[in-house]
Amino acid sequence: MLAVLRQVIRRRRLGTLWWSLGLIGFAALLAVAYPTVRGNRALDQTFAGLPPGVQAALGLDPGSGLTSPVGYLNSQYFANILPALFLVFAIGLAAWSIAGDEAGGTLELLLANPVSRGRVAAERAGALVALLAVLTAVSAATLVLLDPVVGLDKGLAGDRVVAATVASALLALTFAAVAFCVGASTGRRSLALAVSATLAVAGYVIEGLAAQAPGLRPIRAASPWHWALGSAPLRHGLTWESWLLPLAVSLALFVLGAAVFARRDLR
Amino acid sequence: MDTSRERDRPAPPATAPAIATDGLTKRFGRLTAVSELSLEVRPGEVVGFLGPNGAGKTTTIRLLLGFLRPSSGSASILGDLPSGDSHLRRRIGYLPGDFRIDPAMTGDELFSWFGALRGGVNRRRVGELVRRLDLDPSRPFGQLSKGNRQKIGLVQAFQHDPDVLILDEPSTGLDPLIQREFLELVREAAERDVAVLFSSHVLPEVERVAARIAIIRAGHLVAMATVDELLDRARHRLELRFAGPVSPALFAGAPGVVEAEARDITATIAVDGAVGPAMEAALRGPGLLRVRSAGDDLEELFAALYGPGKEAG
Repeated sequence: MLAVLRQVIRRRRLGTLWWSLGLIGFAALLAVAYPTVRGNRALDQTFAGLPPGVQAALGLDPGSGLTSPVGYLNSQYFANILPALFLVFAIGLAAWSIAGDEAGGTLELLLANPVSRGRVAAERAGALVALLAVLTAVSAATLVLLDPVVGLDKGLAGDRVVAATVASALLALTFAAVAFCVGASTGRRSLALAVSATLAVAGYVIEGLAAQAPGLRPIRAASPWHWALGSAPLRHGLTWESWLLPLAVSLALFVLGAAVFARRDLR
Repeated sequence: MDTSRERDRPAPPATAPAIATDGLTKRFGRLTAVSELSLEVRPGEVVGFLGPNGAGKTTTIRLLLGFLRPSSGSASILGDLPSGDSHLRRRIGYLPGDFRIDPAMTGDELFSWFGALRGGVNRRRVGELVRRLDLDPSRPFGQLSKGNRQKIGLVQAFQHDPDVLILDEPSTGLDPLIQREFLELVREAAERDVAVLFSSHVLPEVERVAARIAIIRAGHLVAMATVDELLDRARHRLELRFAGPVSPALFAGAPGVVEAEARDITATIAVDGAVGPAMEAALRGPGLLRVRSAGDDLEELFAALYGPGKEAG
């Protein structure tokens, strides 16, 4: 059962362990640094004086200053660092899943076995979701456990930390699905990386600019960044659309990529 | 030659081909990599698939395995389209021309993984293959020499006792002892009625196991014959010794003689095809004492078939 999926996990287990340790380390650093920031009114005033667009890009919203737990974690972690880390991990794995393996010359050997291309695509996508879920759990658990120690739990329940972490993972999953779809349908790993990374960076920029430029808001509505962060999951938890939209779009992209992959020539 | 008896054994006529292509054509844009290729391999038969690099051997094999879709024509294995039922591939053993796996993976890990994908690992068979090919299956692929990597490829192709073997330049990097053992494995498979398509760019290794040879050049099948039939068409070099001085003019006009040289009482001639007319000419010389064959020059035939511009029938 799931021999293709288990093979990906076996192959990636050491890498995933290092990623986990990195995430734990970063979250721990963030927590340990918080007491030095808390209560620093000057910091709050400095940042409150910045233009709203810059504040939005930093993950600050008018309701919470940099020194509050929500403002601190959002601006230092959930609005930028964590999505970026998840994106790098997930896009890299997604671009490898079909196109990278194909370019490396090892996919054909697997497909000479009694496995259909659809099964390989499905199990590889499943492995991507499973490994991203591991990182999500590790990252969320670290913060949930450390927050009370440093006072980051004042006015911030653990379930909100989990919600914000999941939102970041779903954001990464959506762009990973783009990379998977492009890679599976073309067999070009570099194209898969380029398209998904460009879209991810463009989405981030638009999300920041749209706070000042109302003309960008229709575009922003189509951006996974907005689906994930627009409803401020750290403050309000996950809304329906903040998890349903990324999941639906990701699933559609995975299915589309797998369908084209099943019918095309290998490179 | 010790294998001539096996080579002469006729393929069972009633059996359907295990590997078949019919008018198989593959175009990449304006390049036609394989053109109107029709060939068959029956159960128990080893067909050598020869051609220079870039002739279309690997493209044909990738079409057979369903990695590529034909532009026209068809390919089938065991009566089924390769792109169809994936369960069919349980009965195929495949060694790609450029065998590579994850560098961190060991042979044992690969054999277990592929065994699981194919419905169970035959540990006894894997153990036997590992022993006969003298492979250390516990070392990561990335740390192995070219020859040892190729052995991993061979074990995974043979480990599930498939009914069809498709081997793309299988003896690359093997030392002569291991190559002999590998050819023995191919022979044993053929005795168990496995159909083997054995691609190579050199003749000698294939000649030792193949009943028939298919020669492909620039995507076209230029010859499909038994090794003996190819020998009949090959260029023969003969050294003739006479009782008295001889002139090359003796062979002028003899059909098939393409070269004639003479030094004192010895003439050396090259003959394409049947040697009868050349011998008749020699009998008109000053007392033919001895005929020595300098060997059948299959390599020259291949040079002619491979070479540009000359089409062979």
